[in-house]
Amino acid sequence: MATEESKFIEVQPFSDEMVLSMGPQHPSTHGVLKLELRLDGEIVREAIPHIGYLHRCFEKHAENLSYPQIIPFTDRMDYISAMNQNWGFCLAVEKMMAADEKFSGVPERAEYLRVLVGELNRIASHLLSFGTYGMDIGAFTPFLYAFRDREEILLLFEEICGARLTYNYIRIGGVSRDMPPNWLDHVKNFIDYFEPKVDEYNTLLTENKIFIARTVKVAVLDEDMAINYGITGPNLRGAGKKWDLRKDEPYSIYDRFDFDVPIGHDIPRIGAVLGDCWNRYKVRMDEMKESVRIIRQILNQKIPEGPIMAQYKAVRPPAGEIFDRSEAPRGELGFYIVSDGSVKPVRLKAKSPCFTALSALQELSKGLMVADIIAIIGSIDIVMGEIDR
Amino acid sequence: MVGYISNIYVGVYTVLVGMVITFKQMFKPRVTHQYPYQYEFERKDNYREIPIGNRGQLHNRVEDCIVCNKCAQICPVDCIYIDSRKPSGGRGAKLWESMNVVHLKDRKQIIGIVEGDTKKIEPDTEITINQTVPTGQTRKVSSNDVDRIVERKKVTFYMDRFDIDMALCMYCGLCTEVCPTECLTMVDTLQGIEYSEFDRANLNYSFVKPELYK
Repeated sequence: MATEESKFIEVQPFSDEMVLSMGPQHPSTHGVLKLELRLDGEIVREAIPHIGYLHRCFEKHAENLSYPQIIPFTDRMDYISAMNQNWGFCLAVEKMMAADEKFSGVPERAEYLRVLVGELNRIASHLLSFGTYGMDIGAFTPFLYAFRDREEILLLFEEICGARLTYNYIRIGGVSRDMPPNWLDHVKNFIDYFEPKVDEYNTLLTENKIFIARTVKVAVLDEDMAINYGITGPNLRGAGKKWDLRKDEPYSIYDRFDFDVPIGHDIPRIGAVLGDCWNRYKVRMDEMKESVRIIRQILNQKIPEGPIMAQYKAVRPPAGEIFDRSEAPRGELGFYIVSDGSVKPVRLKAKSPCFTALSALQELSKGLMVADIIAIIGSIDIVMGEIDR
Repeated sequence: MVGYISNIYVGVYTVLVGMVITFKQMFKPRVTHQYPYQYEFERKDNYREIPIGNRGQLHNRVEDCIVCNKCAQICPVDCIYIDSRKPSGGRGAKLWESMNVVHLKDRKQIIGIVEGDTKKIEPDTEITINQTVPTGQTRKVSSNDVDRIVERKKVTFYMDRFDIDMALCMYCGLCTEVCPTECLTMVDTLQGIEYSEFDRANLNYSFVKPELYK
């Protein structure tokens, strides 16, 4: 097709160039991201992201807070998937606490609840990614459909933890509340309702000709480049690398569940190549199905009775340092914590998967059109709250 | 030329396939509510009430509060302000004689001295309360209406100030979990959600009741 080839046209070197500021208040930059575009006509010569508009000093602030007090601030990092952010932080602190004799370890019931809410939040996060990506590209309907179904997940979270966005549910050593009666029935109803919806979304957006024309063969991020940039999560899997911490370094009880790690493929029928925007998007759609599979297995296995919180005296991790990572919906979320044995961390550093994904934008966007920048930002699925922290 | 026409055909066709899904939705019930004009939502299968334990506005039942300061210490954003003062008899002195707070099931409280044993309450009996706030009155309630009776023998601190700045609050719920008397709660009804104000200063709620400490 003529239009697809023209995306990589070499233009004359002595043409007029202009600088365009895209953002920070741009609707499709997923937050407050400013892009400084050096344009040659409509062709992007350089795209420099300017971040920091949402900086709230999380890491420095955490040095003045005790460990349980930090958890509500991790909610505000990636507010789309706050459960996974809570979980990532708690995993790191629990790993430090494991040396403590008084710490009894996370109970079985809490582990099951964690996986349940973590996977539900992964679906909610991917739904938002799918809906806003469609809206960026120009399809408004998927946005409403995605938010309709995301609303059901938020209602489930509201029942179990009392909040819709900033959950503060997963705590050090367990979870804050046990599930209310009939909650598992509500989850089952939702899963039964949601599973056929993914195919409906595929009909609505994934197979749409206009959507394919906008995303296929755009901004190809191959496997080597993804690894060099440190990109993880669906963006890496869209490039064809089968790497998922839930499978490769199972934390919590993920080794008990049977699920696949979806990766991108070359699809000649629509012209998709490994690592393009379409494949990154498609991996997320497939991951929603895998999350449904995990939740179904939890519902079929009986969740064991018992406590939901570990026994310990106080959260005082022994002196030392740790880096622990977990698979958040947007990639590997890492927490580096230095402790001196007191109730507050000496240093806390969060490794954000969105930050590494955004760093590749400069190389990905070279030679493309302005409209393709929108397609790239949507496909790498960034959340500015996590990048700026 | 053939490719050009087939492109148009495929483009129109896939849009129409998506339109079929949109068209089907026209005959399904609405999922949106006209909030705040429509409070009585249509009862549908997927609709549920505001769940029990929803994290809303903070409320303190000062009758139960022992001014332990735990909530102010755990608060990550320091939005709870507590001023307390020792009574004249030194720490641990009695501010009043043994007193009960009777919590009724309709969320009202009666403060006074309950006659008889407060630990064992038989159903279908009458409970006599000599009220201390306001003083001098005697009230009789049926034990079926009583949710629980809290006994307060002594208060170690006067409470001069108990303010919560809801404009600062981040609704993490940590303060309600550390509260030993469970007097600090988050309102899980519609009132706990809808309390917006035009002036930010109006969001500073004061819970102290000076008449309790006379």
